[in-house]
Amino acid sequence: MSDPKVAAVQAQLQTQSVAFQKLEAELAGIIEARQRLDSQQAENEQVLKEFTLLKSHNTVYKLVGPSLVPQDSNEAKVNVEKRLEFIKSEIKRVEAQLKEGEEKAAKKKNEIIALQQQFQGLQGPSGPQQAVKA
Amino acid sequence: MAEQQVNITDLEPAQLQEVKKQLDQELEHLTNSYSQLKQAQTKFRSCVENVSSLSPASKGKEVLIPFTSSLYVPGKLTDVENVVVDVGTGYYVKKNKAEATEHYTSKTNFVQGNLETLQKTIERKQENVQSVMQVLQMKMQQQQQAGAVQA
Repeated sequence: MSDPKVAAVQAQLQTQSVAFQKLEAELAGIIEARQRLDSQQAENEQVLKEFTLLKSHNTVYKLVGPSLVPQDSNEAKVNVEKRLEFIKSEIKRVEAQLKEGEEKAAKKKNEIIALQQQFQGLQGPSGPQQAVKA
Repeated sequence: MAEQQVNITDLEPAQLQEVKKQLDQELEHLTNSYSQLKQAQTKFRSCVENVSSLSPASKGKEVLIPFTSSLYVPGKLTDVENVVVDVGTGYYVKKNKAEATEHYTSKTNFVQGNLETLQKTIERKQENVQSVMQVLQMKMQQQQQAGAVQA
């Protein structure tokens, strides 16, 4: 009599586990994006530091394809500052995503634990009964 | 994710094996990073040497400039005082020799600092791996003895 119930819980457990794995994979992707942004930020900060130390004889070039094109140093500085701002806002956005993803994963985990308990509860009493029947 | 403090002596051998696997992975990642940093440092060091090898006596000397890896054109060194340095993200800055040397030396030192902290982290991880291994061996022996008693 508890067999269909057990099967239903088992099926639910299965789909929830798959959903949880999908969430974990998504989370891993977000974390990777976050790390990439971090290293980009570090690199741009280094460049900006370099630009603030420039003297008048230090010409700035930008790599365009295979050739170096001279650039106005102030323009280059403003450009890097803008890039840094963009990266910062991206980090904020990804942080928010990360938080949301973690919350979702935690919720899903709790659901799965609840299902597992339900599953064990159904199996517990039915186990000995089946043993008696056999 | 909230990390709980777990005493490794409370864990089952199978769990310990998992912990060890994870630690090994982390250790591998860290040692990879270490050798990458080491390579970067060597590169910066050789840049310092290259800059110093550009002496005023080289002025007017003929050189072959690589256009591609297989096409070279002859050229003459006209400026032996300035070099163009890659500062990252596609930007290059023209610097005189002293500035370039300073730039590369400071890069080398920066990497050195990172290498030292990384070294410490690696040592700590190795200690962790060792203590996990010890506990694991102890557990295995206990299990074997228990099995022998039962048998």
